[in-house]
Amino acid sequence: MKLAQLAHPRQDYSYGFLDEFGKRELRRRMLKAVAIPGHQVPYASRELPIARGWGTGGLQVTLSLVGPGDTVKVIDQGADDSVNAANLRRFIARMTGVSTTADTLAATVIQSRHRVPEERLREGQALVLQVPDPEPLRRVQPDSSKALEMHADADYAQMWLSLYEQLVRFGRFVQGASYPVLVHGRYLMSPSPIPRWDTPDLHQAAHLTLLSAGREKRLYAVPPYTDVRPIEFEDVFFQVEQMVGRVCAVTGARNKFMDALPLAGGGSIFRISDTGYVAKLLDAARGKPATIGPTYYDDEGRFFQPGVLRDEGQARNGR
Amino acid sequence: MAYVAARGGEQAILRAEALHGRLRAPLSAAIVRQIEAHLPYLVDRVMGEGSLYAPELAALALAQSGGDLYEAVLLLRAYRSTQPRIAYAEPVGQEQLHTLRRISAAFKDIPGGQILGPTLDYSHRLLRLDLLDGLGGPEHGGAPSSSTDGAVTPAELPQTPPGPSSPLPAVADWQRASGLLATLPDAPAPDPAELPDVTRDPVHFPAPRAHRLQSLARADTGGALALGYASMRGYGLAHPTVNELRLAHADVLLRHPITGATFSAGRVRVSQCEVVNTSAVELRLGYAATLGWNEVKVIAAAMLDLEMDAPTPHPAHREEFVLYHTEPVESSGFCIHYKLPHYVTFQSGLDALRAVRAEGSEGSVQAQSGAEEQA
Repeated sequence: MKLAQLAHPRQDYSYGFLDEFGKRELRRRMLKAVAIPGHQVPYASRELPIARGWGTGGLQVTLSLVGPGDTVKVIDQGADDSVNAANLRRFIARMTGVSTTADTLAATVIQSRHRVPEERLREGQALVLQVPDPEPLRRVQPDSSKALEMHADADYAQMWLSLYEQLVRFGRFVQGASYPVLVHGRYLMSPSPIPRWDTPDLHQAAHLTLLSAGREKRLYAVPPYTDVRPIEFEDVFFQVEQMVGRVCAVTGARNKFMDALPLAGGGSIFRISDTGYVAKLLDAARGKPATIGPTYYDDEGRFFQPGVLRDEGQARNGR
Repeated sequence: MAYVAARGGEQAILRAEALHGRLRAPLSAAIVRQIEAHLPYLVDRVMGEGSLYAPELAALALAQSGGDLYEAVLLLRAYRSTQPRIAYAEPVGQEQLHTLRRISAAFKDIPGGQILGPTLDYSHRLLRLDLLDGLGGPEHGGAPSSSTDGAVTPAELPQTPPGPSSPLPAVADWQRASGLLATLPDAPAPDPAELPDVTRDPVHFPAPRAHRLQSLARADTGGALALGYASMRGYGLAHPTVNELRLAHADVLLRHPITGATFSAGRVRVSQCEVVNTSAVELRLGYAATLGWNEVKVIAAAMLDLEMDAPTPHPAHREEFVLYHTEPVESSGFCIHYKLPHYVTFQSGLDALRAVRAEGSEGSVQAQSGAEEQA
């Protein structure tokens, strides 16, 4: 018997890169986050071999969530093939041995920077959103200790005031991405900088959403079938981005979230932002087998859950 | 075997990394050794901000990153976060340090004496162009104070403290004995394993003192300097004095798992600074220490420690502001993340802007149109 036989085989890194204590901490924080929907749970946030601010929060959640049997999809701004998404996917696969995919339906865990896929997620899937700034109150209260007290008191008066100010100054709400939402009627939450188009996808969703900010060391969650309401007034409604009249130059599809690509002579062409969905539409058009799931918005731009978007009629009629 | 979903991006990543490597001279073990031997202060800075005392690995990180300091610190931190906790070192008192340099600006002389030690403070900052011409040996021609070639390597370290073999007491001890400072509470030293650890716990504000000092020890030198300088130059309430600045070697004292005896597992370079503020009624202290020798950082950080709770609105007087914004890995990472595509969020902001314009309302949409949220 030799010492080498008795010792564990040499390993450069733990499974999932994080050591067992790190993974345990993350899992406990995730459980707490699920138990208190929308509440920001602080965590230690280990350094990863990826720069801070480049998805290390989402990455820590994904690495402590997956096992070898999982299938992971990683997107950045909707794209599977962007260098940052490719890099994170490469790292996750290298450290955990998971399968990877671009197909939303095939994935068990989807890590995303700033998009929800067009195809509806289902029960058992987890969406991990990378978060730059977890604090929806930052613009009205930059001091995080004071913001914490405001959350404890559910004191969101300043947010309603800022919403009203937008209305008075500009005639409408002018928030772009990261539109603040109220979760389960209690906590104000930043849904991460997803476009407003994706915000209703989180409401009464079948899937679990985990949101994690590595640099700011906070994670939070929306469990399945939880109310997620964008803040709006009784008579002035939240509106998603205007996609009317935009036709995807690749697929010819309409009423999906489009990237605008400027043309040299002025004007733009449009392309569906969700590249995994585009690939399947193209396969179907070429007669290849492709399973396309039901989408959040139909071809007429109607959201699949009636009544969630109270402004829906206006949006489709071009206001 | 993992099925790889998309190839294009990964090819680009590999080629970009290869190109980066080709634009500098090839790496070797010898280069790493030379960096460690010739650039000890640079290695120290990376070790301090990386909060990992490993000169060889810090030199490797510097070589691998081509000298990009933030990249080197990130490499070291990412390596550090994979390392298990084997043991906790015993606390080391100031009087136990092997001090090579120790100055106090508060008194002309202090018990134990002022020790100038290794410093360029009083050298003439003249480039030694003769070296470029290959004239003389490395030690030739320069005044003793301008010689920087005698880099301290562990092998050359004195085994006993220089000067009198009696330990050097802290200046603050004299001030306490003289009734100028409040005496320390007579509590036993805390168990190191029970100390709050900023790398393992989330930070809440107000932060425990351990978190604050640990954060300052890991802080970005430039960041600590910028905020500390703002406080020193005109936004601070105090004009503190350097009570004591030390460069030293500290024993890493471990307890033997079987015999229980305390032994030194090695020595690390440490620097520490204590500043003192005289107000009408009392003396107040600010303190900072870090791994490696980095005088600018510990002086600036000690000033920040002193001023961080001042009741004035300047940002450098707020603990949360100082600790968040001097974190090198987080601040540099967030800064460079702006290179990532933001077209979805940008477009969402444009959508809001266009809608406002279409409605012909006053002015243009500025701050709230999503520009601030495009991270």
